[in-house]
Amino acid sequence: MLYFQDVSADRYQHISDQELLDKFYSDHDNQWLGIVLHRYTMLLLGVCMKYLKNEEEAKDAVQQIFLKAITELAKYKVEYIKSWLYMVARNHCLMKLRDKNIFIPVEDKTQLAATETDKKELADKEITLGLLETSLAELNREQKTCVTLFYLQKKSYQEIVDSTGYSLLQVKSYIQNGKRNLKILVEKKMNSTE
Amino acid sequence: MTDLKNILHHDDELDNDELMRYLEGNASEEERFAIEKQMADSSFVNEAIEGLQHFGDPAMVKEYVDLLNKQLQKQTAKKLVRKNKRRLKDQNWLIVAILAILFLCVAGFLLIHFSTVKHG
Repeated sequence: MLYFQDVSADRYQHISDQELLDKFYSDHDNQWLGIVLHRYTMLLLGVCMKYLKNEEEAKDAVQQIFLKAITELAKYKVEYIKSWLYMVARNHCLMKLRDKNIFIPVEDKTQLAATETDKKELADKEITLGLLETSLAELNREQKTCVTLFYLQKKSYQEIVDSTGYSLLQVKSYIQNGKRNLKILVEKKMNSTE
Repeated sequence: MTDLKNILHHDDELDNDELMRYLEGNASEEERFAIEKQMADSSFVNEAIEGLQHFGDPAMVKEYVDLLNKQLQKQTAKKLVRKNKRRLKDQNWLIVAILAILFLCVAGFLLIHFSTVKHG
């Protein structure tokens, strides 16, 4: 039987979310779940605050999300806890806002969610620098500029805003879309060479 | 240009202390790049940090997180204790059931034994 004095202890840091979930599914000890959820408290608080814009409400929302997670995860298996928690948090906040008759247009996050789940695929493959370089050159001007400044010159979002004149939202969008397009271009090139 | 590979490489580790320093504007260049890279990689991280930046005082973030973690720890520990109690209760019932069956077997045996002895 397991009793953890402090789930924040670094002693579980080396264990991945997936391994902790597997342990939970094998012995149904909620404390494994506690360790996983503990890792996402701050991020969940941030997401809830982004939508609810109220510190107390955001805190309460995280508590409810934890409760939901403890109940739901015992019922069925979840493959990617990080993406799942994000989805639960967003849905919870959107429902809360809907109760107050506030409607936020839901952006299509499916592409980004896919990036979260298949993240290791490309990194695991040996990608030649040449392939990346040529693909980078094929991006549109805004995306190429932002991706280059961000990833290669390691400029901060704010520095890119200052040097390009784009808004923060535009910079983030050019980087995210540029990265996604770069991935697609690299994949295409890899498939054509195979 | 070796940093090119950074573009498609994802890093999952997000340290709360680093994140706090980033929110307070005290992160090093390296930490700032690591966090913003994760923001670009993950809409979860991006939205979370945008939300955390809405807190009037970044110190409050830590306070709320600590409080939530304490409650979470209690919640996950409590459930286990309750589960263990239930398990013990179940075991008690099992012992009672076994004893009852044994008693019935012995009683049945004795009844048959004495009735055959009487008739015999």
